[in-house]
Amino acid sequence: MSSVGMRRLFAVVTLAAAATTSVFAQEPEATTREAAIEQLQAEKAAVLHPYLPGKAEGLMNRAEDILVNGVPSWHPSFESAYYGGGVTVGAGYAHHVSAYNQIDVRGSYTILGYKRIEAEFTAPRMFHRRGELSLLGGWREATQAAFYGLGMGTSKDNRTDFDFRQPYASGTMTFWPTRRLLMLRGGLELSQWSQRPGKGTTFPSVETVYSTQTLPGLGTSTTYLHSQGTVGFDWRTSPGYSRRGGFYGVTLHDYRDKDQAFGFRQIDYEAIQHFPILREAWVISLHALARTTSDKSDQQVPFFMLPYVGGGSTLRGFISHRFRDQNALALQAEWRIMLNRFMDMALFYDAGKVAAHKADLDFNGLKSDYGAGVRFHGPTATPLRIEVAKSPEGLKLIFATTAIF
Amino acid sequence: MTTSSFASHTRRASLPILVFVALGQFAGGVSTKGLHFYPDDPIAREPESQDASQAKPYEIGSLFEMANNLFVTAGYKPSGTRARNINTTDEVPDSNWFTNRIGTTTVTVDQIVRGPIVGAAPDPSRWVLIREKTAGAHPGFTARDAKGETWFLEFDPPYFPEGATGAVEVATKIFWALGYNQVESFLTTFDPKRVEIDEKATIRRPSGARTKFTQDDINAILERVARNADGTYRVIAGRLIPGKILGGFLYDKTRPDDPNDVVPHEHRRELRALRVFGAWTNLTDLKAANTLDALVTENGRSIVKHYLQDVGSTFGMCNDYYEWDLSWEHFYQADTTRRRLFSFGFALSPWQTVDYVEYPSIGKFEGDRFDPRTWKPQTPTTAYLELRDDDAFWAARRVGAFTDELIRAAVHTGQFSDPMAEKYLADVLIKRRNKITSLYLNAVNPVVAPRLEASGRLTVDNAAVAAGVASGPATYRAAWFRFDNATGQTQAIAETQSATTSIEPPGGLPTAAGSFVAVDLSVDSDGHPTWRQPIRVYFRRAGDSWTLVGLERLPESLAAGRAAQTPTH
Repeated sequence: MSSVGMRRLFAVVTLAAAATTSVFAQEPEATTREAAIEQLQAEKAAVLHPYLPGKAEGLMNRAEDILVNGVPSWHPSFESAYYGGGVTVGAGYAHHVSAYNQIDVRGSYTILGYKRIEAEFTAPRMFHRRGELSLLGGWREATQAAFYGLGMGTSKDNRTDFDFRQPYASGTMTFWPTRRLLMLRGGLELSQWSQRPGKGTTFPSVETVYSTQTLPGLGTSTTYLHSQGTVGFDWRTSPGYSRRGGFYGVTLHDYRDKDQAFGFRQIDYEAIQHFPILREAWVISLHALARTTSDKSDQQVPFFMLPYVGGGSTLRGFISHRFRDQNALALQAEWRIMLNRFMDMALFYDAGKVAAHKADLDFNGLKSDYGAGVRFHGPTATPLRIEVAKSPEGLKLIFATTAIF
Repeated sequence: MTTSSFASHTRRASLPILVFVALGQFAGGVSTKGLHFYPDDPIAREPESQDASQAKPYEIGSLFEMANNLFVTAGYKPSGTRARNINTTDEVPDSNWFTNRIGTTTVTVDQIVRGPIVGAAPDPSRWVLIREKTAGAHPGFTARDAKGETWFLEFDPPYFPEGATGAVEVATKIFWALGYNQVESFLTTFDPKRVEIDEKATIRRPSGARTKFTQDDINAILERVARNADGTYRVIAGRLIPGKILGGFLYDKTRPDDPNDVVPHEHRRELRALRVFGAWTNLTDLKAANTLDALVTENGRSIVKHYLQDVGSTFGMCNDYYEWDLSWEHFYQADTTRRRLFSFGFALSPWQTVDYVEYPSIGKFEGDRFDPRTWKPQTPTTAYLELRDDDAFWAARRVGAFTDELIRAAVHTGQFSDPMAEKYLADVLIKRRNKITSLYLNAVNPVVAPRLEASGRLTVDNAAVAAGVASGPATYRAAWFRFDNATGQTQAIAETQSATTSIEPPGGLPTAAGSFVAVDLSVDSDGHPTWRQPIRVYFRRAGDSWTLVGLERLPESLAAGRAAQTPTH
């Protein structure tokens, strides 16, 4: 230690001793109370130094800067290329190109080798803060996406794997005409889905079990122009975390196949309602999502684009994409319990089904699961959700970095 | 009156400690080689002898402070030691932190209505915006008024019209009267038709860059605040604090760059007492960002002046519209988290069931279920945890000094348009005041203001009785000692007692100038066991009269952890 440091340490120790055990003599002896205090102040004047934040404080200040002022230049990215890829790691680099607009380049890789790389430009304050624009382009690959067959009668032992690669480019505009409640969203996406044999060794590849006659879209490369429009009423405090309010919306999709072989239409009906109880210490949260598809004339919905249930956002006790068919219904109910300002626990029940016909999207033959979890959240986001779900097909552990709904 | 053989064994056993304590209160004491009481004891003002011009601005990160308070400070075990910035008579001397006002001197209605205001009100006929508002929970601007003076403007949220601005106005008056340095604040108006943007005005963007302030930035604020029927906005305007802004102060340790700041903040009584004042007014947001240190020049020397800058998170404004838990719980508590986890939330907390009469301009503020000892700020601070019953007693006397008239006058400055809301706020403050005085004035021996006449007759006041929170017959007992100011030795004289607050002396009191007597004062009164704990007072003979030079209500050191753990009475 330098002599300066030793002197400072000695002085600090001396001061501390004076401040706590005052009975020991100090020189020169003060003759008045005021002089005695002034003596302490004079001693401190010799060892002044600026405030120096510690390591923990420095890290927390950095975290605060990120939370308050937005995404840091370098940031983690946990968004997988596709559901079912397992643990995901990734990173991104965000750069503001103007006061509010930014470009974020990010990539991720999962334990099963799923890959995603994309760049997104976001303009969050268009039309006097009524609109938000997202321009997204990227490429992804899922190497071992699961397919168990069509309908609810499949067994989990029927699993096959498939691979797909998809370059994509899209533009999405979200618009709140009145800044609240009414939400309109429109988007256009150009993408190419190339379905290939699965790369896993545990399960057979999809083409070894199905043929192009039995499974539409098998082995195809389809270029879609996907247009979509949403009308919604949203009075939640935030989509990322809310204890009251609701969302009711309908989204129309049109998938136009360049080769006019696999074009189709899809309608999503979604309803979310939170019922706060006991001053929001409890919340009963309900979610319903129905997806229906309709073929265009002489065209079919490829199997990998079919609506599904199963996985961490629908039927949590089941494997991702466990059930697929032309139409899907997912119903979720949660009893959320506020533990403190940053943590909730939840008991939940999920039910869902898929069906070949819309008329069969009823409450008969629903698959269900139940479970419990904890959520670490802020006022508007849920950065970590940990859940355990039990279904007839086993126990599933879910880690997610978004709210369930 | 009779002379009795009353003696406190416990008291005698702790005598050496008590002597030490009474002699060296300030800053934990200084050299006591020689005299125990200095000639200038008790001091009335804390000196600031050193030039503090080397103090540099810094800002404590709010996230770090919150996390540190919730997860580190919450486990802090109070030292149980007496406040270190008090003088030898157990009072807080004036300083750059605190000025004795109510409870020490008489504060009139006119004074409390004026509060910290020394300058003229802003001229709202024109506002020139110069940047965003950087402090406070509610949206606002930094702007110059028509006279060119800089102000911090804060609006009301749409669901609390008059609420946030009224809370600042009223709380500023109350905390000024309590003795804290306050920002000069005025209720005024903001007319968007009379607003300009300074050519050099900038605002910090998410990109980190400061760019030109635009009309849309004004709109973004005005869209989410309460608007008057005539299209103007009610705002609270806080005058720019004079001096160089150094950032907030912490509720522990000292500023390492301020030579005059020698008492750890957790041992400053006025900061500990914010637990009581905070409970009274519901000031839950005790964070550094709501305080401010400013480097100012006084008497030709640079010194640091300490402000409670933002006291707006008070009354019903501490909770947002859909929040109920603040003031009942910290942001995080391990015990309540566990309880809710294992009971699935069936173990209800008080905030879930308390009844509120909610006026939009007041928010959630009540006095029926309020308990000063279970009241909690957003996060625990070290000073909050270090509060002892003698600190709380000191604070409660100040709270109790607010008469109904003063409270109603302070509340009236909030200019609430609903007279029922104004009355309700004052009524709740009165209820909470009464609970605080009832609790803390009875938690310790409430004998105050001891006067020893030249004849030797000792007269005291009983703060609990005077406040109307205790009654019934009482016997006042005094154990008299000669006290050697050079050695700290005491020599018993005799014990006397009285059924009134005036006690005859025993024979044999010293008469020489410069001699000292010490008196242990206790009170026997049914239902008040804490009153039996003697306080020790010291008098110095000066000419023909006696001057109070020392008073100790509680021992220097209580059992560690007791400070904040004393049970609810």
